[in-house]
Amino acid sequence: MKEVVKAEEGEVFDIELEADLLKANKELAEENRELLRKHGVAAIDIMGSIGAGKTSLIEKLVQLLKEKYRIAVFKGDLTTTIDAELIARHSVEVVPINTGKECHLDANLVRKALQEIDLNNLDLLFIENVGNLICPAEFPLGSEKRAVVISVTEGPYMVVKHPFIFIDADVVVINKADLAQAMKVDAKKLGTDVERINPNSKVAVTNCRSGEGVRKVVEALGL
Amino acid sequence: MHEFSITSRIVNCVLEEAKKHNARRVNEVHLVVGKLTFLGLEQVRFAYEMLVKNTILEDSKLHIEEKDGAVKCDRCGYAGDLRYEDDPVYHVPSPTLVCPKCEGAVNIVGGKECTIKRLKLVA
Repeated sequence: MKEVVKAEEGEVFDIELEADLLKANKELAEENRELLRKHGVAAIDIMGSIGAGKTSLIEKLVQLLKEKYRIAVFKGDLTTTIDAELIARHSVEVVPINTGKECHLDANLVRKALQEIDLNNLDLLFIENVGNLICPAEFPLGSEKRAVVISVTEGPYMVVKHPFIFIDADVVVINKADLAQAMKVDAKKLGTDVERINPNSKVAVTNCRSGEGVRKVVEALGL
Repeated sequence: MHEFSITSRIVNCVLEEAKKHNARRVNEVHLVVGKLTFLGLEQVRFAYEMLVKNTILEDSKLHIEEKDGAVKCDRCGYAGDLRYEDDPVYHVPSPTLVCPKCEGAVNIVGGKECTIKRLKLVA
């Protein structure tokens, strides 16, 4: 064997590397996706603004679909199980995920929650993300589809002000249609804003209190 | 958005690499950041300055190459940068998935990367 080649003192190394700094989450998300696929579970990430009606939408979806599919729900929140309990009233398995301080779910938290449920006994998984129109878009969880929920009470510019999350959305739900008139907000205009940014996404206008429009969401999700 | 945590990962990754090579100093760090990530470059630079203090990266130069987003259109075959809406109302151009060529819908194929591409270390 030859002598070890050593750098002289002060010699400059020029090193090429391809260290992907977002890779850790992407890889875990791929593992989650693979695990879900293997068990034939369709997972849907429900993102959206705070108070837009993500939980109400999930409640209505569960009511409509629980005879057809075996459903579980992961419910992300910084703290409390208030919303998780609302969903659990509909007799589906709910795993609350409290992030503590983090403003979004990540693939690692979802992986941990996946260990809590029996995947052999499941067809459909809703993952409700923390209310936020920015950060969740950067952190794939391993879901098959991503939906974004906004509501007319947030004003007329929610879509144009947050283009990135809508680019990542398969389905966009515009909720609280019953309040549109009082808010002087045109729900249809919000829908065309979405289509202009992301023609791949499907838009549904809903009132998740009454359930109006929720069947359209079911269709858009291909369920 | 998460510039501080990502930048702290960058610094740790460089420190590890430097250790492997028994480097005494780090002179240059070259990053590639896709325009479709949520990383603000000004915030990355600021976090970097804070984080390298009292490490062998102190005084190193951070080069950031911004990479355009990349999309592909299944309908007309277009491959390239996204179409941005540059309505002055938005101030910052807003990315869209509308095909710049045929107005169909495109899919994202690049622009979400954040990688350390190259380092210059001093032995």
